[in-house]
Amino acid sequence: MDETRATHRGFGRVLVVIYALFAIAATARSVVQLSTKFSEAPVAYLLSALAAVIYIVATVALARGDRSSRRVAMAAISFELAGVLIVGTLSLALPDEFPHASVWSSFGSGYGYIPLVLPAVGLWWLRRTRPQHTSE
Amino acid sequence: MTGPFADLLIAAGVLVGLWSLVQLIVNRPLGRALRLGVWCLEALIAVFLIGGIAQMMTTDQEFAKLEFVGYLLGMLAIPLAALWWTRTDGTRAGTAIIMVIGLVTSILVLRVQQVWAGPHG
Repeated sequence: MDETRATHRGFGRVLVVIYALFAIAATARSVVQLSTKFSEAPVAYLLSALAAVIYIVATVALARGDRSSRRVAMAAISFELAGVLIVGTLSLALPDEFPHASVWSSFGSGYGYIPLVLPAVGLWWLRRTRPQHTSE
Repeated sequence: MTGPFADLLIAAGVLVGLWSLVQLIVNRPLGRALRLGVWCLEALIAVFLIGGIAQMMTTDQEFAKLEFVGYLLGMLAIPLAALWWTRTDGTRAGTAIIMVIGLVTSILVLRVQQVWAGPHG
């Protein structure tokens, strides 16, 4: 594989760090929510846990940077984009259903809207580092 | 947790972030001086962790103690992880990573202070 186009080179190294920070933040938040107050808002907290898993998968896939990892990263980041858009919209449209904040609530406003921008940057990076010699 | 040491740590994080930004602008790869800056930040975080836990043990204040210690441990681990991730990185990406770490450290101090103040603080 052409190392200069790998997802974990250049700007990709910074992206991996940002994904890792979100993986840590979302996982820690989710563990606290699920272990101490799961019954208060099971749907919101399960969504938080799902977000944590997605961030972990995206981090590892981007950091590995091989061909199969690229597909996993594409799936995880696409899911992340859908998640932040759907949860963000629902949290604003149905605030009573989402009384407890998750990473994706209000399009990630609690995290400076980075959760909204991050998947777009991730997909752009995957496209930019796409191997050109394949028949895909 | 809102004393001058916390302010010093916020300033140190911002300083590392700004220093990295300047290095990025002038096209410098991650060098020894900036790495040393991160180690200094790490030393300040270690003092903050010890001081924070000591204050937690001696206060009657009600707050989410597990979350508090979790944030402090996370703050300590993040720069170390970044130093490891950039260990062979002599590129500008390494400098950008240190910029992110400096700013994240400052933000985490603010978050630790929020947790310390408690839900009604």
